Amino acid sequence: MATERIKSEITGTVWKILLAEGDAIQVESELMILESMKMEIPVESAVSGRIQSILVAPGDAVDEDQDLAIIEID
Amino acid sequence: MKAAVLREQNKPMEIEEVQISKPGPREVLVRPIAAGVCHSDLHFLDGSYPYMLPTILGHESAGVVEEVGKDVTYVKKGDHVITCLSAFCGHCNKCLTGHLSLCQSPEVSRAPEVESRLSIGGETVHQFLNLSSFAELMLIHEHALVKVREDMPMDRAALIGCSTTTGVGAVFHTAGVEPGSIVAVIGCGGVGLAAINGAAIAGASMVIAVDMVDSKLELAKAVGATHTINARSGNAVGEVLELTKGGCDYTFEAIGLKATAEQAFQMLCSGGTATIIGMIPVGTMVELHGVDFLMEKKIQGSNMGSNRFRIDMPRFVDFYLSGKLHLDQMISKHIKLADVNTALNALKSGEEARHVIMFDQ
Ligand SMILES: NC(=O)c1ccc[n+]([C@@H]2O[C@H](COP(=O)([O-])OP(=O)(O)OC[C@H]3O[C@@H](n4cnc5c(N)ncnc54)[C@H](O)[C@@H]3O)[C@@H](O)[C@H]2O)c1
Ligand SMILES: [Zn+2]
Ligand SMILES: [Zn+2]
Repeated sequence: MATERIKSEITGTVWKILLAEGDAIQVESELMILESMKMEIPVESAVSGRIQSILVAPGDAVDEDQDLAIIEID
Repeated sequence: MKAAVLREQNKPMEIEEVQISKPGPREVLVRPIAAGVCHSDLHFLDGSYPYMLPTILGHESAGVVEEVGKDVTYVKKGDHVITCLSAFCGHCNKCLTGHLSLCQSPEVSRAPEVESRLSIGGETVHQFLNLSSFAELMLIHEHALVKVREDMPMDRAALIGCSTTTGVGAVFHTAGVEPGSIVAVIGCGGVGLAAINGAAIAGASMVIAVDMVDSKLELAKAVGATHTINARSGNAVGEVLELTKGGCDYTFEAIGLKATAEQAFQMLCSGGTATIIGMIPVGTMVELHGVDFLMEKKIQGSNMGSNRFRIDMPRFVDFYLSGKLHLDQMISKHIKLADVNTALNALKSGEEARHVIMFDQ
């Protein structure tokens, strides 16, 4: 099955994870919130499918371009 | 309380009734009297910077303390304050080494699992940069405000909350402009005009203002520019190099574009430093000629003027009251909260300086 990796656009910290592994996800739906320089930045999915794995946990530091989750594409 | 709520990018904000929580131990409830409209608000409205929605934009304000949390001793009800998005924790590595504006500690926000500061009918409204000042009340961390003199007019004080601190601070703190330096500032909005004014205060021998709007260049002269260049000519870099006979010691980009950030670097003399203040859209790359590094040209970012705002802002108030900081000229219009969409639209054309919302008292 084809998968898609969701990457961070920015360096920051994982603030809150809004969905769980196994959940269905739609294009543009929000998966988690990152905090960077006092901004609450949404991480959105570019594809529709099911969340295969979430690779980070709340409080984790993330770098620009780092993989945050893997989505199984519908 | 009423606030301008942004529910969808690129859609007008609507004035809605919003619930605001009670101050936690280290929080302060502030009644804003004035709030400036900054181009950064527009970047989040148009999505060039993503943000959690719904939110309430606005991050440049001054007001009066309404209520304080039980552990707050720094301010009391009735104190006049300016807010700042550079809320500092006071004990991380950045804070303890004097770089308060780079503090990333999340503890100045409410933790995600507790009741949010702002909500509508139980739905979280995401606080913008720990402030959200397009609202009749603000609930903020005590480290997101500074007490100021009561003879400071609130509309001018609001500007100090972002544009002054950002522009003047970039000159004083980030770049450290010395007297006699040659300076160019690209973009003469609220932030660029503040950088021009700051360069004049710092004693720059030449302050070149670059913009595409003639009325902005006139304003630039009124706040300290010695020379102006209209970038519509398409050759701003060439004109700066000719005027300075070889380039600037310091340049400042105050727009947020790849092209003008690159121009800021190209306008430098050997050993010069370009400081990028403008918010360049997420994902955009900036290109430089590698050979220029042999001439020790430098490029750096600046966040909120590398401020220590509890020290800086009262000084900027004094600068205004003693006639050095020309905030009167930087306000082009006073508006009502309901007109905030018009003010944000006006920023797109670049024709006007700051619009300041005045709240009914
Ligand atoms: N780094 C920070 O901490 C920080 C803080 C505040 C604002 N900002 C950013 O600073 C930038 C400026 O903010 P502002 O509120 O002063 O904006 P503004 O819209 O008031 O001013 C921008 C000015 O740039 C001019 N301009 C536009 N394109 C130009 C071009 N190609 N060449 C020359 N001039 C041009 C416009 O005519 C206008 O006068 C924005 O990107 C804003 O987000 C950054
Ligand atoms: Zn701003
Ligand atoms: Zn800190």
